Amino acid sequence: MKNNDIKLISNGKRLDGRAPNEMRSMKIVPNVVKNSGGSAYMEWGKNKIIAAVYGPGEALPRHTANPDRAVIKCRYMMAPFSSSEEHGRVGMNRRAIEISKVTAEVFENIVLLDQFPGTEINIYIEVLQSDGGTRAAGITCASVAMALSGIPMKDLPYAVSVGKVGEDVILDLDKLEDNYSDADVPLAILPRTDSVALLQMDGEMTKKQFNDAMAMAMEAGKTISKLQKDALRSQYIEQEQKYR
Amino acid sequence: MKRIVVPGDLVDEKPVHLMDAFIEGNKTYATVISVYDDDKKTLIPLEGLWYPRKDEIVIGVIEEAKLNTYTVQLNAPYKGIIISKYAESSMANGDMIEASVKELDKTGTVVLSRPRVLNGGKLLRIRPAKVHRLLGRSNTMLRQITDGTGTMIKVGMNGVIWLRGGDTDLATDAVMRIQDEAHVAGLTDRIGSMVKAQAPKPQPAPPHPEEGSE
Repeated sequence: MKNNDIKLISNGKRLDGRAPNEMRSMKIVPNVVKNSGGSAYMEWGKNKIIAAVYGPGEALPRHTANPDRAVIKCRYMMAPFSSSEEHGRVGMNRRAIEISKVTAEVFENIVLLDQFPGTEINIYIEVLQSDGGTRAAGITCASVAMALSGIPMKDLPYAVSVGKVGEDVILDLDKLEDNYSDADVPLAILPRTDSVALLQMDGEMTKKQFNDAMAMAMEAGKTISKLQKDALRSQYIEQEQKYR
Repeated sequence: MKRIVVPGDLVDEKPVHLMDAFIEGNKTYATVISVYDDDKKTLIPLEGLWYPRKDEIVIGVIEEAKLNTYTVQLNAPYKGIIISKYAESSMANGDMIEASVKELDKTGTVVLSRPRVLNGGKLLRIRPAKVHRLLGRSNTMLRQITDGTGTMIKVGMNGVIWLRGGDTDLATDAVMRIQDEAHVAGLTDRIGSMVKAQAPKPQPAPPHPEEGSE
């Protein structure tokens, strides 16, 4: 949705005062849902998200089971009170179904599914408060929850969005930028190999802009990845420090 | 040097065959959160799921008694089944049982044998990766708790613990503390002193009713 009336960048600063390559502040709290296999709570700017992972367990209904490998089922949902727009409908809307699908596919790339044939792994992502970039935040948060659940993975994916305003490439779009920018590209990256597990593009970019955006996302990924790893290690390090 | 590794972290520059790791491009990477010892080349998982192995002892709850089989909830990706003819006595829904793993069949069901019903007591669930720490080398850690609290404890390799008698609250606290601090050095001593400090002092035997009556 392009709107020339709204100036998203002026004097090199975005509406919330960030530089084009600056991310919003982030916080990850591990193990917030005690009954789950693994869980995490994430604040990314004004986004507030809880992710919890259950399983592997018996795949239900039975016809969804794959006898050779586990199946990953994801449910991404926005709470009815999460944004100023309407999210009060019961059940998943088209957008939630799409995000659930792409999130599950990110994890299908890295979880060692063949170790648990015939089972299912459930990922639940609940958006409590949203301000753009919730699918990226959801994947980043779910990745921490998955690692905490003890399900073997080959990598710890993170996600971030990049976009374009006029000729400027920007990082980590918020709600307004998401709606009114010229392009919006959510990305999920596997940091061990720097390979792309999710790339969706809404809008148009030149090849150079796209390359710049990718480089920006990879650079930001170092910070996100470190935050994820610190969150995973924090509880163990805390225990260790008690007895030093 | 010991360090905590997370999924995807480089464990070793060389290919090392380890339980919770994989080799790619002649390098070894972790698949679960673990502690890696660079000197001993050991990878001890801090999180992880239980994989059934033959002859392992597990503890579970009878979920459903059918005509020929019992289904057992095992706190694992798979359910357990007991074929009725191998059970010495009949069991009812909700019974806590101890059994050994006979095999993992092709449909992903754990076939159990030699079931024994555990009467009374309570069940506790811990993360399966911490079970070995709870047992300790030659069961020293477990013996420390049973001796100190007087609680009878049975440990299922699937992460289900059964406790009965004695100071079960103290035994539960000790088990949960082992789960939380499994990776911190000096745990056996800490649990030993915890149990000693809080264990109920032996009560003097009540006087015999006939004593002093004459």
